[in-house]
Amino acid sequence: MYLRGAWRALAATARNFVRPPITEGVRTEASREGRYRASFALVHDAHGEEACIGCKLCEKICPSSVITVGTGPKAVSPATGKKRGTCSDFTLDLQACIFCELCVQVCPEDAIIMMRVQETPGFEREDLVLTMDKLYANEKSKPRSWHTGSGLFAMQDPDAKPSGEAT
Amino acid sequence: MGSSTSHGAAPPPPAPTRDVRPLRMRVNPFLDIDQYDPEADLMALNMGPQHPSTHGVFRIKLFIDGEVVVKAVPYPGYLHRGVEKLCEKLTFAQLVPIVDKHDYVAPMTNEQAIVRVVEEALKIEVPRRARVLRTILAELQRIASHLLWLGTFTLDIGGTIGGGASVMMYTFRERELILDLFEMLTGARFHYNTHTPGGNRHDVPVGWPERVKKVCDVIAARLPEYTAACTDNDVFDLRSRGVGVIDAATALELGLSGPNLRASGVDHDLRRDAPYHAYDEVGVNVAVATDGDCWARYIVRMAEMEESLRIVRLLIDDIPQGPITALKPVKLHTQIKVPAGQHYAAIDTPRGELGTYLIGGGAEKGAAAFRLKIRPPSLHAMAALPWILPGNTVSDVVAILGSLDPIMGEVDR
Repeated sequence: MYLRGAWRALAATARNFVRPPITEGVRTEASREGRYRASFALVHDAHGEEACIGCKLCEKICPSSVITVGTGPKAVSPATGKKRGTCSDFTLDLQACIFCELCVQVCPEDAIIMMRVQETPGFEREDLVLTMDKLYANEKSKPRSWHTGSGLFAMQDPDAKPSGEAT
Repeated sequence: MGSSTSHGAAPPPPAPTRDVRPLRMRVNPFLDIDQYDPEADLMALNMGPQHPSTHGVFRIKLFIDGEVVVKAVPYPGYLHRGVEKLCEKLTFAQLVPIVDKHDYVAPMTNEQAIVRVVEEALKIEVPRRARVLRTILAELQRIASHLLWLGTFTLDIGGTIGGGASVMMYTFRERELILDLFEMLTGARFHYNTHTPGGNRHDVPVGWPERVKKVCDVIAARLPEYTAACTDNDVFDLRSRGVGVIDAATALELGLSGPNLRASGVDHDLRRDAPYHAYDEVGVNVAVATDGDCWARYIVRMAEMEESLRIVRLLIDDIPQGPITALKPVKLHTQIKVPAGQHYAAIDTPRGELGTYLIGGGAEKGAAAFRLKIRPPSLHAMAALPWILPGNTVSDVVAILGSLDPIMGEVDR
């Protein structure tokens, strides 16, 4: 009786012994799915200007209150000639961030987006606080996640699905 | 405490041999330990809060006579984060990622519970595409949760191949496939934030249904291997059969739900009895066992995984077209106001009935709730411990605790 159970258990072990090891196909960050979201970045718009207009919507929606936005004075955009808001300071504290993506979703300008790779580990607490400079550096150095505010919005609206992404 | 050190001189009232009386009549969880047999050499043993087999931070004070538990006093609360109070401050759109953290093994169903109570309060009819998608997600999450439970349970009781560690490796391997599916859909392996009141946030990506089918095939092929490793294993059998018996009357009285209740012979499943999402379309064959012991709870969960696979395969082939949210498409509905009054909605999570009781704030509170109470199934499973632990040995305490599948984030909130 005991031998039969032991035999069947050993057979299961043997079957898994010849299977490819699970670590073989382990995913690197670059091979993550397009929607994988890990870190943040602030982006420039089509005219090469900083897209953030300092509207503070992300600061208000953040459930953990990790975002702090400083609104700068309104300025005339040299590219379009229109008056627009500016952002003087932007801080995102990853120590309490829960990566819920709500800030990305509410952004009216698609200025804050999420990136596909995680933040580099640091040795100090300050390394986890993403300042404005770090966020703009992330735009250049990290691959983007698929999510943007308008992309998420398009999913809600069946008439305006982005081509090639959703069925 | 008596001066005598002999254990055999005065046997304790809950005898270690099997008692045929109903549980309620033979166990007294309110036993005054000072009035206990003064001859017995009782020892108070604190199990936890940092004990690997308590599945989180949970402490039980065990009064043991020799190796037999005489009285058990659970002390939850080490993971209390004050979420219910936080729910009175945040808006409903902000709540969804917060409630993800309750049952951190099955976050998908937590979100569904809270969005369902808001939908119930506002009388929102969720589109069929979103309902089918939610059903698929809930069932995939059930498989993932039960796989994790099986792995940790075999670790708890040992005796299967590799002392249970092999089974844990195998189940975590399969669970990872499901988490990859969730990552493909929502971008996160955990804490998805994919539901909103009225629908879903993320639509199905290209190639997702095909991948779900592939994963279902892999898991269906590997479920018999777990049966080979556990069901046919005599040590597993000895450690779980007849251990921690809860009879149907006690289970109902203590408010158990989910697989723990169904293992006691009560045929109750909200998916079938009060259908939500798209469960009325697929029908659910509820798995019921009658023994009420650890073995029955194991059997029920294994059968539930098979049933979940059936439901997923049934729905994945034709996900209906259409919108995924019932509300007018805007970037984010931040100002959802729930009318004053009481609302309750419950869903059947992998652990049982997760109910959300919401008192709407009306105009005064704006977009936040006046009060939000969460009825977690794990808390009620933990409440059963003082009733079923006495009379068992210390080693069985670990097996019983593991078989109830508690998640401490949900117990304490």
